[in-house]
Amino acid sequence: MRQPPQHRIAVDAIKAWRITEVIVMVILLLLVIASFIVGHFFDWALWIPFTALAVWGVLAYLMIFLIPVVRWRRWRYEVFDQEIYVQHGILIVSRTLVPMIRVQHVDTKQGPILKRFNLSNLTVSTAATIHEIPALPQEEAAALRDQISELARVDEDDV
Amino acid sequence: MMSEPRRLHPAAVIFSVIKIFKNLIYVIGAGVLASFGNTMFIYIALGILGLTIIFTIISIIDWFRFHYYIEGDELRIEQGIFVRKHRYISKNRIQSIDLTQGVIHRILKLTKVQIETAGSGLETEASLSAVTFSEGEAIRRELKSDQSLVKEEQSESEETVEYPQRQITFNRLIVAGLTSGSVGVIIGLMAVGFSEIERFIPDSVYDQAMSWMLSSAVELLIFLALVTFILLYALGILGTVIKFGRFQITRYETELFITRGLLEKKQMTIPLKRIQAIGFKQSLIRQPLGFGTLYVETAGGADGQNANARTYLFPIIRYDELRQFLQTVLPEYEAFPEQVQAIPKKANFFYYVRAAFFPVVALIAILIFLPFVWYVPTILVLLAVGLGLLRRQTAGYSWDDQQLTLAYRDFSKDMVMMKHNRIQAFEKRQSILHKRLGLATIRVSLLNHFAGRHVLLKEMAESEVDRLSDWYSLRKQ
Repeated sequence: MRQPPQHRIAVDAIKAWRITEVIVMVILLLLVIASFIVGHFFDWALWIPFTALAVWGVLAYLMIFLIPVVRWRRWRYEVFDQEIYVQHGILIVSRTLVPMIRVQHVDTKQGPILKRFNLSNLTVSTAATIHEIPALPQEEAAALRDQISELARVDEDDV
Repeated sequence: MMSEPRRLHPAAVIFSVIKIFKNLIYVIGAGVLASFGNTMFIYIALGILGLTIIFTIISIIDWFRFHYYIEGDELRIEQGIFVRKHRYISKNRIQSIDLTQGVIHRILKLTKVQIETAGSGLETEASLSAVTFSEGEAIRRELKSDQSLVKEEQSESEETVEYPQRQITFNRLIVAGLTSGSVGVIIGLMAVGFSEIERFIPDSVYDQAMSWMLSSAVELLIFLALVTFILLYALGILGTVIKFGRFQITRYETELFITRGLLEKKQMTIPLKRIQAIGFKQSLIRQPLGFGTLYVETAGGADGQNANARTYLFPIIRYDELRQFLQTVLPEYEAFPEQVQAIPKKANFFYYVRAAFFPVVALIAILIFLPFVWYVPTILVLLAVGLGLLRRQTAGYSWDDQQLTLAYRDFSKDMVMMKHNRIQAFEKRQSILHKRLGLATIRVSLLNHFAGRHVLLKEMAESEVDRLSDWYSLRKQ
């Protein structure tokens, strides 16, 4: 675990995450606007909705512009014959080792936003944990899924 | 070999009704408490009576429609009132068969049979809530694919094989009760109970009692409090004695066999290959005395109850007896380290901050809003710092080529011993601050009968984490 894993996820991941965050932030913005309207009818002090707006602004900047880039830079993975090695995290970086013989199943998943960019999430499940490698080009994700499920087919005592 | 379909013992109806009410206890309890003493109560009582009748009828039909039988190599269960469910369980898929006798079971000489297969589901795969005890044992004999238990029963007459066995002594049982800390729980329950009962005590009696108490001597009050406390403590000990009385663990070739309980009798088998890890847990009361409990993490619902129900290998044992105990009962795990490696001194800061963060926030808030009770949060902060120090002293690790041992503390000290091939995943976590100081946190995942268990050891030296990850990694470096 001295060296980080080698492979990065797709660059389009940043765009895909941004779109998701924009949707979330628009919903939050509607709430902020609602606070202005409600405040107007109930005679709230004006600083309440304005604080909400300021908080929203900071949050929007972080969630849409900053975090997706940092997140993308941190996500790395590498698949060996014997194990899967994944790194992720923003403030706290975590590196995980999952032995192939512990893998129970592998899934690929794709929502509407990822589909637009031809990306898929890959999840690897053991008996006790679930690990994700997000936003891989979909052909690569499918190939990786097949590869892992092939490698995981090692007979060992239960669980 | 029994092949004709059979019904459960009719007492199964009682257990089924009890079970339904157990699931509804909060709804009913809330209704009863809310309506106590006012006119609604009579309706609630009538409602409960009506429900009881309905549930009883349903349970009787259910009982009537429940059949089980053994056909060839399979246990077959057919059940359901409208939707018929047939379940066939093949003999060589069965992992363990547990017999449990509650108080009612014992009066009627019945037993409950729980059958587990390899699936890691939370529920038992098949459960016969009431059959006669002799039949329960017959079913177990019949379905055991691994015949060691049967062999043992035969060998009793021949006296050829002796299996290692450990029992709890009466003294130990008392020690377990004294240190269980259950007195706190009981006092809590009493407090809640009293606040409810208080409503029914007539005001005049209450006032009289109060004025008598206020007028009587302090010594008398202290004496009364002491007597109550001792009584409660005795109750706590009694609870432990009932639960763990006659505890006995036996080691067979491929499984452990545990029986326990004075009123409710439990027989449990733990197949060795389902053991994921063992742990030694010492509460703050038990640790200074050297005592603790030895438990096991298994795959699948061994206890068949809730997530917190631990399966004990021994309910009370001294740390210095542990090695000898494991040698006789579970030699696979006997090689645990004399002492764990401590984490670096640099970690202190993190442990103090984590433990004291909320108390310090509380202290600041109190100083601003209620400065005259400053001493309450101050004491809290000191206790929290003490806890942080304890946690840091407890934290430690050790490994050899087969086994990893991690020790950590929330309040109780927990030492977990796990085999390399039982660790599901290994994670190293590092914040920017950690990185600068050369520290890292590890998170080791295990399978257990609930959603998996993740053991964290915070702020190990990074170089050691990397060495440990090399140990865990299957790639040859």
